Amino acid sequence: MRAAAAAGRFALQRCGACGRAQYPPRAFCTACLSDNVEWEVLAFAPGTLLARCRLHHSNALRFRPALPLDLGLVRLDAGPVAVCFLAGVPAIGAGVTVRARLDVAGHPVLDAAA
Amino acid sequence: MARGYDDIVVVVPTTEPYVRRSEHGAAWFIARVLGAMLRRSGLAKDAIDGLCLSSLTLAPDTAVAFTQHAGLSPRFLEWLPMGGASGVVALRRAARAVQAGDAEIVACIAGDTANATSFTDLIENFSSFSRDAVYPYGAGGPNASFALITDAYMRGFGATRADFGRLCVAQRANARRNPLALLREPLTLEAYLAARPIAEPLHLFDCVMPCAGAEGFLVMRRARAEALGLRGVRLLGAIERHNAYADDPVQMRGGWAIDREALWAQAGVAPDAINLVQVYDDYPVIAFMQLEDLGFCGKGGAAAFVRDRDLTVAGDFPVNTGGGQLSAGQAGAAGGYLGLVEAVRQLAGEAAGRAVPDARHALVSGFGMINYDRGLCTAACVLAAP
Ligand SMILES: [Zn+2]
Repeated sequence: MRAAAAAGRFALQRCGACGRAQYPPRAFCTACLSDNVEWEVLAFAPGTLLARCRLHHSNALRFRPALPLDLGLVRLDAGPVAVCFLAGVPAIGAGVTVRARLDVAGHPVLDAAA
Repeated sequence: MARGYDDIVVVVPTTEPYVRRSEHGAAWFIARVLGAMLRRSGLAKDAIDGLCLSSLTLAPDTAVAFTQHAGLSPRFLEWLPMGGASGVVALRRAARAVQAGDAEIVACIAGDTANATSFTDLIENFSSFSRDAVYPYGAGGPNASFALITDAYMRGFGATRADFGRLCVAQRANARRNPLALLREPLTLEAYLAARPIAEPLHLFDCVMPCAGAEGFLVMRRARAEALGLRGVRLLGAIERHNAYADDPVQMRGGWAIDREALWAQAGVAPDAINLVQVYDDYPVIAFMQLEDLGFCGKGGAAAFVRDRDLTVAGDFPVNTGGGQLSAGQAGAAGGYLGLVEAVRQLAGEAAGRAVPDARHALVSGFGMINYDRGLCTAACVLAAP
């Protein structure tokens, strides 16, 4: 997921045995427990915005200059739900596009935009 | 139906007073409660042959290490890292152990410390999913997760900030009668609504204050309690469930909704027999869900339910009679014991200054562990006065 995010692509886990997509990544399929989980590398993932919040407080110093931060809970069309940074103000229930990148700490993160 | 709990009772509800910060480690707080329970019960330490322990800040130690720290040699030992569900689950485990003869007297304790970095350390490595897929999004911790859940709930059911505020204000009124609560200054609905935003839609008074402290109780047979001269509060029923409704896209209900019929059937009473309710209240929205999912009102009906009732100890539906975590503070895993210890005090006639009149039955509910986007552990029990 990290390598894909470095290239601006979203690597979503999908079970090679039953086809179930899952997020966050894990070592085996949540549905059938097969360890034959594969990475589906996408330019972006379509989804629907379920809920949003605006963070005014962070427990880590590195985020404080960026406050307030808008976060969203997105139901990916592929099935799983992902916490994402929100760009702009997509409406609840609206379609969004989820893209991956590496943050300044080198961690893969997701951005959702209308 | 699961077998009942016969004559199992809970005695010596005990709190090590909460403090905002402490130089003591979690084991110190746990040992303080253990010592106080021994003094109150008149039991020798060797009489404790079972232990259920919960703590979020005892690492690298667990319940195993604590036995050596405290010189205990139990034949029944549980380490329950279940956060807000720890208290009810500990009671459930302890009751079955005593019933089965695996232990005679089980000490159930949760305790945590708090210092400048304990809370932020906890959030950063709370779980692998939250480390990978929540923490990098601003390190908001549980505030961020519950802000999303609260937003979905408000939109889904039309609940307003003022609805949540009524619960918070009533709990603060209860806390003003509880010398153990850390937050006892008056709170009005106007002040609640005017508070600064933390993680919108959550504002200051929707969020618990992390602190240090510990809670505990002893579980034994009623005959043993009577021989010790202790008034034992009876356990009528108990449920737990983990990772319920995994396919719900947002948490709008918890495992209580699956198991409530089993709970009321095992307890042999209906919701209208309950004189006081202790719901887990790290955020008001989850308190609302417990009222709904345990059958006090319909799904989405908690806002109207709360609007129509007086939730103070003198009211027609007393909730979180000691002030709850929102006013008492959240001492880590002890937050998962707070409501249970308070309910036992109420039913045993030990809630001086805030006693619910003629309290016969109490419901206690627990909720714990935001592993990723929702809390995974739910539990509840029904208790009866001696
Ligand atoms: Zn599978």
